[in-house]
Amino acid sequence: MGRIVIVTDSTADIPEALANELGIKVVPLKVHFGEDTYEDGVDLTSSQFYEKLSASETIPTTSQPTPGQFEEVYQELNEDGVEQILSIHLSSKLSGTYQSAYIAQQTLGDSVPVEVIDSRRASYAIGIIAAEAARMAAQGESLESIRQRIDEMLEDTTVFFMVDTLEYLQKNGRIGKASALVGSLLKIKPILSLNEAGEVYPFEKVRGSRKAAEKIVSEFRNRFNGRPVHVGISHAQAPAEASAFMDRMKESFDVQQEVITDIGPVIGTHVGPGTVSISVAPAARKN
Amino acid sequence: MSVQTIQGEKLVQMIQGGAANLSAQSKKIDALNVFPVPDGDTGTNMNLTMTSGVKEMKAQESSSAGVTAGRFAKGLLMGARGNSGVILSQLFRGFSKALEGKESVSGTELAEAFQQGVETAYKAVMKPVEGTILTVAKDSAKAGWDASVEEDDCTFVMKAVTKEAKASLERTPDLLPVLKEVGVVDSGGQGLLTIYEAFEAVLEGKEMSYREEEEPSLEELVKMEHHQSAQSHMNAEDITFTYCTEVMVKFDAEKLSQKPFDEDNFREKLSEYGDSLLVVSDEELLKIHIHADFPGEVINEAQQFGSLVQIKAENMRDQHESIVNEPAKKKKVTEPAVITVGMGSGIKALFEGLGAYTVIEGGQTMNPSTEDFIRAIDDSGASRVILLPNNGNIIMAAEQAAEVADADVRVVKTKSVPQGLAAMLAYEENGGLDELAPAMEEASTEVKTGEVTYAVRDTSIDGTAIKKGDYMGISGKKILNCGTDVAEVAQNLLQELVDGESEIVTLIYGEDRTAEEADALASFVEEKFPEVEVEVHEGSQPLYSYIISVE
Repeated sequence: MGRIVIVTDSTADIPEALANELGIKVVPLKVHFGEDTYEDGVDLTSSQFYEKLSASETIPTTSQPTPGQFEEVYQELNEDGVEQILSIHLSSKLSGTYQSAYIAQQTLGDSVPVEVIDSRRASYAIGIIAAEAARMAAQGESLESIRQRIDEMLEDTTVFFMVDTLEYLQKNGRIGKASALVGSLLKIKPILSLNEAGEVYPFEKVRGSRKAAEKIVSEFRNRFNGRPVHVGISHAQAPAEASAFMDRMKESFDVQQEVITDIGPVIGTHVGPGTVSISVAPAARKN
Repeated sequence: MSVQTIQGEKLVQMIQGGAANLSAQSKKIDALNVFPVPDGDTGTNMNLTMTSGVKEMKAQESSSAGVTAGRFAKGLLMGARGNSGVILSQLFRGFSKALEGKESVSGTELAEAFQQGVETAYKAVMKPVEGTILTVAKDSAKAGWDASVEEDDCTFVMKAVTKEAKASLERTPDLLPVLKEVGVVDSGGQGLLTIYEAFEAVLEGKEMSYREEEEPSLEELVKMEHHQSAQSHMNAEDITFTYCTEVMVKFDAEKLSQKPFDEDNFREKLSEYGDSLLVVSDEELLKIHIHADFPGEVINEAQQFGSLVQIKAENMRDQHESIVNEPAKKKKVTEPAVITVGMGSGIKALFEGLGAYTVIEGGQTMNPSTEDFIRAIDDSGASRVILLPNNGNIIMAAEQAAEVADADVRVVKTKSVPQGLAAMLAYEENGGLDELAPAMEEASTEVKTGEVTYAVRDTSIDGTAIKKGDYMGISGKKILNCGTDVAEVAQNLLQELVDGESEIVTLIYGEDRTAEEADALASFVEEKFPEVEVEVHEGSQPLYSYIISVE
């Protein structure tokens, strides 16, 4: 076990193999189908989830991990002699996950060295930051430089969601500033993003997925022009679209790390099947 | 027999009572849930949290109040679900800390424990929001503290706590605007009160029957029913029945002797007339709430059992309009206001759905005047306005209006309804005119427009003879084809417009066409161009059988 350990939650959508390789601890959120409760990614895989979702008449609900769950994880790591825990989580504007982690940290006090970080992001936009931090930790980098890199990435990591329908976001009350789009009779493909506070907002409204992809790539070009980048694409049952998008990104950018992953059950509950999410972060550190 | 000090056994009873009461009311609490996200699960979450606490406590019962509280708190912590569940667990975590090592609890100690619970919870929450469960906990703990100074008696303290919790809950809408908007009290606070009420009942030695006491009144049921449907029905089309009908009847012994009243049968009978049905009756009164298309029939049914006391029938579609439009009015008007031009109720709805403020009636054969535009601009009260003329012949009138009007007005020169709709996609509330106008203009060029209409007289264009009544397929100013069969003309036009670059075809059919005809045309496009997605809308426009957008 390294001296610095990264903890995140299941909404970071980090592929299991990658999490194991980098020693990232993933705390599961919960998904509730009526009376049945599942732990995100533990006893409910993405494919099982989407199967259940299409069979279920009601939309499932989700809930954050309990403070107790976080306490247990932190305490276990502490007993293993970890020097510092960096716990990076789903936007506090979308979930109480950060709140639960924060309570656990407050409860444990100085006895366990935990820093809880609000990613203000969702899906692999969290994962892209957690993975980078874990990689640096594995390479024995100092706490100071890892923290600094996390701060940079919190500033620069950009995520867009192409959802098939706003229905799921609306039903779960997470629609945020995108609610103005609900009244539209025309089928619109909204490109959603998360703003600096970590709330959902509509970046662009377009019709047609080709146009949506063009808008997204051109916005990434504006932001990361000529810089090498990390790209993470997460998708809800849309693997072909995800890999096509990755190819497209590689045509336009120097992609240094690429991850294609499933949008897990919790985020999937809110965005619905067919969603593709693209996260980009600059690969090089600032000086 | 009221209780002055609490031992472990009594505490177990209190907590079990609280859990039972919460469980009985959890659906009602769900319905109140609007903050922080209106996902309607506060009651369920608190109930499951509480259940986890009780389970842990019951796993090993203790005669010590301190040990009991500690186990309960641990169970809550492990089972905490949702924000309100997490806060509940923190309240009792502090509560149990205060009781640590105590075999029994005095009134003062109980008050102290509530206080410490509040402190712990406030510390745990990063940004405490007033008007929530936290406020209810804080206010009631303070009242408990004041009471304990007066009298060191657990029941006395608990009564003060519950009383203030109730009062504080009633005040939550004053502190949290979203509650006031919806007209509810805070759901988490309601959950906490529910637990406290059971605590008090147990201490007073009262039996609490968890069903009957909280059988909500008809008014409450109606409120919940409407609130839930407000959440799930965002569009007026989702309203199935038009009238929200409420009838109150005083039973009449004579009528009853002829036709005895049976609530279940009556409910079944009424269910034929509509939905959202609620029937409540006692010895004297029969109260009915239903959403129905024919309120008169509901009233007739009810009147068979007695005399009418009260009748109410409200048109929900009108109400819905006013609810939906109210926010816009409150903000005066969304700036910049978009004023556009079109014919047909469906086209109007398409524009309004995308955020247009007004659709002036007009088009090819009825060009709105400069004055029409100015009137619409003045009516809106907006200081910044965007005009979408949607027709080449109307652009000048719009531009003149822009010069004359007091407001800051820009004209985005859309020449067709599809261009206008495409421009609306780039519209953003509160956007600056200097950014919005060019962005909307650019978006409008991203579509191709096709129109199918008929010739009003015999004519000849580009050497083609066109007879009066013939259909013509038009794109821009060019007549691309004509003929006597509208479907064929539309098909030919579509084949001209759609190509390998096309992604979406939108068919807006006019008042002279049926949905079936439009769907058949859509199937034609889908067959010919399998890559293309087709959307069909009822535009109800006159003169134009089809307005087609290809993008």
